[in-house]
Order: sequence, then C-alpha cells, then structure tokens
Amino acid sequence: MKKFLATGATAVALMTGGAAYAEFPMDDNVTFVIPYSPGGGFDTIVRQFAPAMETAMGTTVVPENISGAGGARGGQAVYRADPDGYTIGIYNIPGLTVNEVLGIDQGFKLDEVTWLANLAVETYALAVAANSGINSVEDLCAMDKPAKLSDTGATSTASVTTRITFGILECDIVDVTGYAGSNDAMIAVISGEVNATIKPITSLTKYLGGGGTGDLKLILTLTADEAVPGVPTATDIGHPELAKFTLNRVIGGPPGMSAEVVSALEEGLRAASEDPAVTTWAEGAGIGLAFMGAGDTKAMMDDLSSFYQQYKDLAAVAE
Amino acid sequence: MGLDALLDAFLAVLNGGSLTFLMAGVLLGLTFGVIPGLGGTTALALLIPVTYTLDPLSAMYLAGGVMGATSFGGSISAILLNTPGTAPNAATCFDGYPLARQGKAGLAIGASATASAMGGLIGLFTLLLFIPVAREVVLSFGSSEFFLLTILGLAAIAVSVKGKLLRGLIAACIGLLLAFTGANQFTGETRFTGGINYLWEGIPLVPALTGLFAISQMIELALKGGSVADEDTLNEAKNMKITGVGEGVLAVFKHWPVLLRGSLIGTVIGAIPGLGGTVASFLSYSSTAQTAKDRDTFGKGNIKGVIAPEAANNAKDGGSLIPTVAFGIPGSAETAVFLGILVLHGIEPGPQILLQNEREIYGLIVALTVSAVGASVLGLMFARVLVLITRIDVNIVVPVVVTLSLTGVFVLEGRMADVAVATIIGIFGYLMIRFDYPRLTLVIAFVLGEIAERSYHQVRLISDGDVIQYMLGRPISVFLIVATIITFFLPAMRKLPWRRLTGRA
Repeated sequence: MKKFLATGATAVALMTGGAAYAEFPMDDNVTFVIPYSPGGGFDTIVRQFAPAMETAMGTTVVPENISGAGGARGGQAVYRADPDGYTIGIYNIPGLTVNEVLGIDQGFKLDEVTWLANLAVETYALAVAANSGINSVEDLCAMDKPAKLSDTGATSTASVTTRITFGILECDIVDVTGYAGSNDAMIAVISGEVNATIKPITSLTKYLGGGGTGDLKLILTLTADEAVPGVPTATDIGHPELAKFTLNRVIGGPPGMSAEVVSALEEGLRAASEDPAVTTWAEGAGIGLAFMGAGDTKAMMDDLSSFYQQYKDLAAVAE
Repeated sequence: MGLDALLDAFLAVLNGGSLTFLMAGVLLGLTFGVIPGLGGTTALALLIPVTYTLDPLSAMYLAGGVMGATSFGGSISAILLNTPGTAPNAATCFDGYPLARQGKAGLAIGASATASAMGGLIGLFTLLLFIPVAREVVLSFGSSEFFLLTILGLAAIAVSVKGKLLRGLIAACIGLLLAFTGANQFTGETRFTGGINYLWEGIPLVPALTGLFAISQMIELALKGGSVADEDTLNEAKNMKITGVGEGVLAVFKHWPVLLRGSLIGTVIGAIPGLGGTVASFLSYSSTAQTAKDRDTFGKGNIKGVIAPEAANNAKDGGSLIPTVAFGIPGSAETAVFLGILVLHGIEPGPQILLQNEREIYGLIVALTVSAVGASVLGLMFARVLVLITRIDVNIVVPVVVTLSLTGVFVLEGRMADVAVATIIGIFGYLMIRFDYPRLTLVIAFVLGEIAERSYHQVRLISDGDVIQYMLGRPISVFLIVATIITFFLPAMRKLPWRRLTGRA
C-alpha cells in the first residue's frame, strides 16, 4: 500500500512538476539560497550574479540567506524544495564533501543534489613571513620543532587542505586553528605567532610583494602549472595530486530536476558569469571566475568525493 | 597624513544627498538601538541588500549613521526599562535604571547622550592618532593577549557581584556552559547539541541576549504591574517638572576623568577583534566602580555608572576601525558587515584599504562622528518625551516590547528556533531576577567563554606547551597579567586593616 501511495505521489509530482517546467522560469521568482549570513564571500557572489541572471533569464532572482550548521542548513532547505527550478543554492565545496567523507550527517547527500554549475575556483598556496628565512617546503619541514600553521576552524577547507597536504608530504606540523578569519590567520604569520599558512592565492596577494605589502612570500602553489612566477608548484615537488585542492563556488538544486530546467538555469548562470558587471566586479574583488557547466560540475563533484575518500584518515582532526 | 582627506570628507558630507543618507542612518540606528534585540549589526545586515543599489560612499554614510547611533539608542531602553537595547548597554542598566526609578531618568539620559557623543569623538580622535601606528598595534595583540583580556574581563565579574559572589560565579558558569555549546573549533566535534543541528554553531548571541534582558525584564514588569517608575516617585513627580537633562550633560564634564578613561578603554578594546562593546563597557564600568571613592553608591543610581559604559561603548567604534585601516580586517561585528558592503561593491578589503579607498574610509569616520553627535542631540531634544515611557502602564509597554524584540530576533535569520531560544532564555532570565542571580556575569562569561577557550588552545600550541614562559616574554601580556591580579585582589585589599588605619590618618 505504502509503495502504491509513493508511486502515486511521484506520478502526481511529475505531472504537476511537468506543467511547471513548461513555463520555467516565468511562473515564479527563483529563490537563490545562500547558506551563510549576509556579507560573506558566498553571499556576495550570489548577490552579484542575481541581477545578471535576471537579465539573462527574464525572471526575478531572490537571494535568501539561510545560515547555520556550517552551511548544511541552507543545503537542507534546497534539498527539501520542489525540483521545479525555482529553488537553487550555492554550496561550500569541498567543505561539505569533506564533512560527508568524515561521516558527519549534514541532512542531505551531495550525490543526490542536481549540480548546475561551478562559478569560481580558487587555488591555494603556502605562504611564510617574507623575513622568516624559510625559502622552501624543505626548510619549513626541517625546523627544530614541527612548523606551526594558522587556520580558522578545524573543519574549514583550508585547515583540511593543510592537514592532508603535509600528511602527503610526510612532514610533521601543528595546525593552530581558531583564528577569526583568513586575514587573521595570515596576520598571525606576519606577526611571527606561527610559521606558515595555506590560503587561496587571491587572499594572499595583498600581503605579497609587487602590489601587496610584501609581508609574506609564497614557497609553494598547490597547482599543476606555474601560477605565480618563480614559485614552485605541486608538480615541481613531485606531488601533482596536491593540485586537486581548490575552493569552489558550486551551484545546485534539489534532487530530480528535469533536463530542461537544468539547461535553462545552466545557461542563465553561464550568461551571468559573462556579464560585464559581474566580470568587472570579480576583477576588482580578486575573485577567480571559472564557469563550469552542469555535466562538468557533476563530474568534478564525483571526482572530489573519491579524492577526499582516499585521504579520509589524513583529513580527520587529530585529538 | 589624511587630514586633507578628512576635511574633504567633512565637506562632502554637507552635500544634500550624503546628509540625507547619513541622517536616515542615524534615525534607523536610533530606532534599532532603542528596540531590545535589534542592534547595529542587525540593522546593517538588513541594509546590505539595500546598499547594493547605492554608490559605495552613500552606503558608507548610511552604515556610519547606523553604527554611530545604535549605542546611544540602546542606552535609552537600558535606563528607562532596565532592558539594554543592544548588548553593550547592559552595563548602563546598573545605575541608569535605579536613577529612572528615582525619577531621575532625565539626568541619566542627559549624561548618556553627552557621554556617548564625547566618547565617540574621543574614540575617533584616538583613531586618527593611531592610524600611523595601526599596524604595530594590531601586530602586538596575539592569541596570548586575547586570552589574557578575556581573563581580565572574567576577573572583573568579581567586582560586579558585590555580596553575591557565589551566585555570580554560578551564573558565570552557566554562561560558560552556554558558550561552549556547538562545534569545537579545535576538533570540529559538536558539544552539548543533543543532535540538534541548529546548535552546531553554538547558541546565537542576539536571541540569547534578547531573552536574558528584554524578555525576562518584561516578565518581571508584567508581574509587578503599575509602571516602571516607583509609585512614590510618580506621585512626587506629578508635582515636579521633568528636568535633570541639563544637569546630566554637565555631570559628564564634571566627571571628565571617568569620561576619558571610559573612552580610552573603549578605543583599546574596540581595536581588538572579537571582544566588542559588551566587554568594553563592562570593563569601563567595573574599573570606574572599583576605583571610585563613593563606590558604595554604584548600583544604586550613581551617574558615573552611566557615563563610564556609554563613553566606552561609543569610543569602541573608532577603535574597531584600527584593525580595519591597518589590515582590512573587522574589529567588530558592525565593521565586519561594513567590510561586507565594500566587497559587494567590488572593493577587496586588505592592508592597502586606507590607501586605495581613502574616500570610503574617511567617509565612514566622518559619518560615525556626525552620527554620534547627531544621535545624542536628537536624544537630548526628545529626552523629556522619552522619560514619559517610565510612566506608561506596563500592560502597554510589555506587549509592545515583547512583540518588537521577538520580531527582531526572527527577522535577522528568519529562524523560528531563534525566537524559541529567546523565549526559553527569557524565562530563565526571569528566574534569575526572581532569585537574585546576576544576569550580567552570565552574559560576560557567555560572550568571553568561546574566545577564552579558543585563544588558550592557540597559546598552548604556539608556545609548545610552555604557556607561562611564552606570556612572560610579551610586554603587553605582562601588563594584562598585572591588571588582572589588581582587578581580582583590589576589593580584598581594601579590607586590609593597614589600609583602614592609613585611611583614618
């Protein structure tokens, strides 16, 4: 009986959903869920994309902040919404991927989310104080005591990246977490409180020489190819797998969205990412726009999941 | 230095359009400040989508107007209803409310308005002096200093609980328990959440404070009946004009050392990211109460108990811009939202922010100054009307305040669970009033608990386990250790027999 009801419910959902798809996206406003409070990186990118999406799709896009539980609450809200395309959200990746690999129940499964696009990719680099006398990863790992690195929360993407990176490099470190933000973590390196930090290159730029304050210098970029002239890459030090560590701004929707709706949203997001207002803003704010369509995003998400699964033990926080 | 830029910014603000945004910010800030539960952060967070359509400078005027006005707005409800409009005004309740009950609300509001404006001005003046060395100031405060400042704050609790030490400690322990709820920053594990993912990020501050102060006080008032001001006072007041506002203004200048000390404490605490106005105003209050000759009258309606926290509370806005101009990092929740507004306009806050965005930063400084003074002038103008609130029947006051505060709590994040938290903590807060447990010690411990735990762990890791030796090698840490010892033992030292003898001599 239960099965029968479920089948019936699915059929009704498909029928009503089908009717809505025909009109998409003109029936209603598109709610764009941001799983963090106003003012942060995720909020800003959505609020920049929303007007450009409106122009491209001819509908109203309403950003809505549903913060809490490290981004999981916003993710749950999207997960529970109807798959009619009128509710989409931005996801913190690989933060949520790592949590899932570590077995933390986030109230939804990432492989069930309908992935629509990836808006931006940020790559990481390892920085030390410019006046520290440390010039390479070898120097950092050959110190008398394990090197100290600064990070925000223990489950932050940068902290997980730090633990796995140095685990792969077989170099003992102390990851000092608890800094209020990325800037505070970088200032701890400048003040000499810690020795180094792994942060997105775009965040580090303002403290580097040549345009920045010159307080920090890079000793490694977690990239396959040269990202900053003269700075060794992951490939150079024989660990190309480290280039997998990136910070992504990924867009997804509830499970079971139709191909037409996915395509309409994907195109809307693509057009927005090419909108001059968005590109000018991204350039000023140092955001690396890197649009990826629905298919590529899904492949990236699956790939990331198996990548982090492989380093599950290194990702776990040591007691 | 940027004196030219500052003058330009002052002239620019006189432009009609800019002044409109600034005044709109002041009115909004005052309103959000007066209503318990809504504060500057809430106002700014709600404004973010609005500022999107404005140019960055207008957005700064609006934001500066709000930031400068909320703290004075919050003192009005603290004085008149014993319900701090924003968390930092909690310390103003200590002496502000007893004054209101004695029919001297005008005196308290006059003093609060003047101390707020003067504190704001001193804070901004100090900021201007500090701009050339802002970098060094920020770099000299590390995890060790953070930890010791929280310990100093917790030690100051001892002062506020005259005769109720055990109850104060119990309340502080409950505050710490609440602070430790949620994800542990070091292990990523969740604590005391009972499987509820709402609690992953801990108990949210605004709903908790709204419950503890606004809701609990409204329950108390509803059960008491009548009006805020004492019946006897009311009868006397009927034959008396509502005066004392001018007297309050003069009191601030008469007690200028209190004003100055409060402003300096506010600026310094403001400059340290994460500590905020609650700690600044509380430390200012406790240091004034502790060192005053007439310390026995604190808590019973001493005007210095209003001046000290209000000066610190407004001065901290100037201080909180020190880390912003040095490194582009926020010194307070309000400056964090303000930097968010800049990002929204395609400006990446960083160490070059003062060089690259001089107009916006000086625009904000000017907006803060004009706002602090403007809000106080408005407050003084309407003080006589505002005082009448203490004479309104609580059957009208209570439903209005409860509705506004709980709506404010809901609006910020749109979560009904926040309203539930405010209500539950409100009932708990009422029980604390009923059984005479100090609520402020709970708040201080709640606000400081997480920072204390986090910074202690950091110092432990940074110092390779040798915490004491590490701290003793840092001059500011040593100063803070000495200050904590003095704070902790001063009340006991006063009772020493030799002191009484020398006192008589």
